[in-house]
Amino acid sequence: MAISDKDFELLRDFIYNLCGMYFHTTKKYFLESRLTKRMEATGTKSAMDYYSLLKSPKGNEELRFLLDEVTTNETYFFRCVPQLNAIETKFLPEIVEAKAKMGFRKLRIWSAASSSGEEAYTLAMILHEKKSTILKDWIIEIIGTDINETVVAQAKEGVYNAYSVRNVPDLYKRKYFKEEGGKFILSPDIKKFVTFNKMNLYDDTKMVFMKSFDFIFCANVLIYFDLASKSKVVQHFYNNLQPYGYFFVGQSESLHGVNDKFKTVHFPGGFGYKK
Amino acid sequence: MDKQAMLETARQMVAQIDDLPTIPVVATQVLQLLDDPDVNVDKVADLMLTDQVMTARVMKMVNSPIYRPSHEVTSLKRALVYLGIHHIKEIALTSSFISAFEDKGGVIDISTFWVHAFGVGMVSKIIAEKIHYRDLEKAYLSGVIHDIGEVVLSYYKPEQFAAILETIRQKPVRLVDMEEQEFRTTHNEVGFCIAEKWNFPEAYREVILYHHNPREAVNDPVLCSIVNLADLFCSVRDLYYGGDAWASFNLSEEEGWVILREKHPELAHLDVERFCYELDDAVPMVKEVVTSIFS
Repeated sequence: MAISDKDFELLRDFIYNLCGMYFHTTKKYFLESRLTKRMEATGTKSAMDYYSLLKSPKGNEELRFLLDEVTTNETYFFRCVPQLNAIETKFLPEIVEAKAKMGFRKLRIWSAASSSGEEAYTLAMILHEKKSTILKDWIIEIIGTDINETVVAQAKEGVYNAYSVRNVPDLYKRKYFKEEGGKFILSPDIKKFVTFNKMNLYDDTKMVFMKSFDFIFCANVLIYFDLASKSKVVQHFYNNLQPYGYFFVGQSESLHGVNDKFKTVHFPGGFGYKK
Repeated sequence: MDKQAMLETARQMVAQIDDLPTIPVVATQVLQLLDDPDVNVDKVADLMLTDQVMTARVMKMVNSPIYRPSHEVTSLKRALVYLGIHHIKEIALTSSFISAFEDKGGVIDISTFWVHAFGVGMVSKIIAEKIHYRDLEKAYLSGVIHDIGEVVLSYYKPEQFAAILETIRQKPVRLVDMEEQEFRTTHNEVGFCIAEKWNFPEAYREVILYHHNPREAVNDPVLCSIVNLADLFCSVRDLYYGGDAWASFNLSEEEGWVILREKHPELAHLDVERFCYELDDAVPMVKEVVTSIFS
């Protein structure tokens, strides 16, 4: 369904004010396709009718479905192997050593756009494997947040399809998943390390309370923000990291022109940022 | 027109050129050195430093947004350490292409040529990453060189080529069709012959020849399809020879995408519009990279 430029701008600004995601006119095709799906599902006849629905008392419920369409991104376990290898062999040992020297034995990790939890749980499995070696007696806290309640609920449930777990190494699959009727149920041993909450990265009042992380991950989300919102969100991440902490974005993203405080670190097959 | 005849015409055309651009000797040596499993950074740096032009170019590239340095990298050796050996190959080759064609743009402004070439290279890499293609560097490099035949036509056949450029600016006709009419061959065949002369590996030659018809590729149709899609995408996103091509781009309907879907059935799950959004997001960065290299 084609949406007029005027209606597009109205809905676009509504979404922007709500969560900082900004759809430039050249990206109209994207928002248009998502809005069309929701208009069909709700039986609204025009973009204006749909806008009225969002502003109505029932609006909050519909908003959840719309955000679902706009923000739900494909994800799966062990998505970026070069990054995981670098964390496991280099960044993690380095942080563990630095913290141990200061007498800290707690590791905090934040998956800032956690979707259905695959990234956060992948890290939990990798760290769990270290519980008998470098992370012996360490407290591990992993937090997953997402603006979309539907995926947060899925993450908490921890049940996945074959597509999500297709990259999980056999050793991990056997150890941490139970297969039942084509579904893969994640072990409670892993689930207990991770908490999931609904959170809007655009909400300053919440962002200031996310403190002292050693690693923050935020892949393929910043591309939906305009430059001002991007800078704001990234500055929060910077503040939320420990002095030696690491920040990772998606492999085709960059903080160029967004934030020049982070130092770039390269590793085989990718890069990350260090505070 | 008969493909074989077009290839023959291109061969004759290339054979008549006596000052054909060459890939600098140092680039070839650096590539050989990088194939050596015991290579160390000092050896590579020493060799590269013997070519001042290459060194300067590499430093410009290292400091461009594509490699995301947080502070300016000022020594070649530090650049090599910073990037790691695996990036040097693509930089060495890219910078030698730029050198090879310096002052040889002919009627095409050479920087607009590179805008398209780098654009296609970078977009090819993103597509390759998405479909888990095994060699991202290869995808990038084939994207960069896919239109090499274009520069050759532009430099060695300036008058005819200028007329073609003028025509495609005014009429909705494809560059490649106009070339066929004018030269009885196209930049695809000409590029292929150049790549042969340079002893490029088969996969690269195939991309140059078939990036408009990935269905005809036999060696690596996936690679051809990646570059085909990246080429189409860039030609409608202001990453073409000074404007947009007379083309449309609808990823899910393109032949290249159909081929990728056949080879990678899991792509059926991909949110195509979201993927296009990610590609669109890369466009400003591509433009910035090219500006920084040519400034």
